[in-house]
Amino acid sequence: MLKVSGIHFSYSQPVLSDLSFEIGNGELLVVIGPNGAGKSTLLKIIVGILSPESGSVLLDDRNIASMPRREAARLIGYVAQGSSIRFPLTATEFVLQGRFAQQRLIGFESDEDVTEATRAMELTDTIGFADRPVTELSGGERQRVMLARAIASRPRLLVLDEPVANLDISHQIRMLDLVRNLISEGNMSAIVVTHELNLAAEFATTALLLKAGEMMACGAPNEVLTEDLLQTVFETELLVDASPISGAPRVTLVPPSRPNRERGI
Amino acid sequence: MNVTDTPNAVRHIASANRVTLAQLVVALTLLALLVIVLAVIATAVGSEHVSLASISKIIIAGITGRSADVTPEQQIIIAEIRLPRVLMAVVVGGALSVAGAAYQALLRNPLADPYILGVSTGAAVGAIVSTVFAESIPVGRPLAAFIGAVLTITAVYALGQGRRGEASERLILAGVITNTFLSSIVIFMLTAASGSRLRSIFSWLIGDLSGEPRLLGLVTVFVMAGIVVIYMNARALNLLMTGEEEAVALGVEVRRVKITVYLAASLITGAAVAVSGVIGFVGLVIPHAIRLVGGSDNRLVIPASALAGGALLLAADTVARTIIAPRELHIGVISALIGGPVFIYLLRRTS
Repeated sequence: MLKVSGIHFSYSQPVLSDLSFEIGNGELLVVIGPNGAGKSTLLKIIVGILSPESGSVLLDDRNIASMPRREAARLIGYVAQGSSIRFPLTATEFVLQGRFAQQRLIGFESDEDVTEATRAMELTDTIGFADRPVTELSGGERQRVMLARAIASRPRLLVLDEPVANLDISHQIRMLDLVRNLISEGNMSAIVVTHELNLAAEFATTALLLKAGEMMACGAPNEVLTEDLLQTVFETELLVDASPISGAPRVTLVPPSRPNRERGI
Repeated sequence: MNVTDTPNAVRHIASANRVTLAQLVVALTLLALLVIVLAVIATAVGSEHVSLASISKIIIAGITGRSADVTPEQQIIIAEIRLPRVLMAVVVGGALSVAGAAYQALLRNPLADPYILGVSTGAAVGAIVSTVFAESIPVGRPLAAFIGAVLTITAVYALGQGRRGEASERLILAGVITNTFLSSIVIFMLTAASGSRLRSIFSWLIGDLSGEPRLLGLVTVFVMAGIVVIYMNARALNLLMTGEEEAVALGVEVRRVKITVYLAASLITGAAVAVSGVIGFVGLVIPHAIRLVGGSDNRLVIPASALAGGALLLAADTVARTIIAPRELHIGVISALIGGPVFIYLLRRTS
């Protein structure tokens, strides 16, 4: 469904080098890696906000970079990292923005736009504050409104940059559960960047480990989230065992100051 | 989930929480009526009182081309002095307000305004240069003001660029600095100008709507064209307000929209400054008031600002020319008296 091949990108120094991977329909790819690994840059290239120096991003065999912007927008829903909004748009107005690429350039929303926005708000459980300004919403509410905007066009691919940053643990797990349900509802795949390794292990169908712009591993979570790989990539001591509930990899951090670490499990 | 099961929610979301065409029509009609009422009052009041009947006779006569049954003095006062000034106030107020709304959306900052960004002063520098060097060309002044406005917003935009793209606060700061710099150029040029010329330039500069009635038609065309172009991009501006990269992802051709709207906003600022001098803060106060009442959708904010801005400047100008009659206050004084406190209020609220 999504095929990324041979992506190179640099600002003053290389940010991404020779990155290639593929995901299929209905997959949830989680991208993990240290700060500055190039995760956000990768997402922006996939969405079409940045153009790669070489390489291509194909969605259903069509190149994102050479597509008209409005067409790409209909296929991909994107939630940026920590958006700052200073104008008091209502949640409804904000979610309806997700229909931009389906609308004529001037005029007002059609019944279909309103129906789709309502559906997106119901799925994300945001309909309850449809009339509130987004500037007054809590972090978790705003994050869900942003997700609603991204799915209002019924995209093929959902791209989320740190959707659980700044959320408490209950909102974190609900957010990813929601993403997983959205994927199972429709004809969609998702790419999620997160620093929450245990959530990544729990929800990913595929995990991609990135360090300094290079792909260190890509595959099933239990092949990627291994003690060796994670210790190499994050340069910190940690322990990986299996979750007693799901069997997914479970990551426990070990403070560097702790001598003689004990593995009494 | 099947949305046809929830008609109440659909109906709720469809009307209450967003701007609809019907709401827009009602809002614009009310504002247009306000402008008309204010225009009638503004035309009637002044040192020479003219009755409403005489005013309508003069207007009808003007349209039909026949002569009106009024005194020649009244004919001149209404047709050649007050009416052009009333129309000028509406056009200039509308232009500055729409330019303000456009800059605010582009910069994602409710504090942006053609005056604060230095664009008005940049346009003034252009206008003064053309007055000094090419006074005989009638289009020269608006054209030079437009060029001054475009150069200024380009410079402010370049200065405001951070290492990782633009930062809205930096841009405002860059505007304030540029404004200060350009103001000193204005003062330099005024100091260098000869005595009689100095008086007329100075009087225009600090805000005067009576100076250039012969440019009314031209400026109206410029302003209308600019407002239409900005309005065509209203929906794209809504998306830009919430973030540039997000707007790209949602399907906006951001580069094209930004260049188009920056040019259009500079065009109408230049046109307004060319005939009225530097009138600050209108572009700040009006879009803010509209957003307070009607929300942030630019499909409402832009046309409503055009009418409300016209109304405010018309009211301010009428006060300015009657409050200490027979002398006149400069309208720039009144707009700054209202706008300064509003700016401080907004600054405290947004930071």
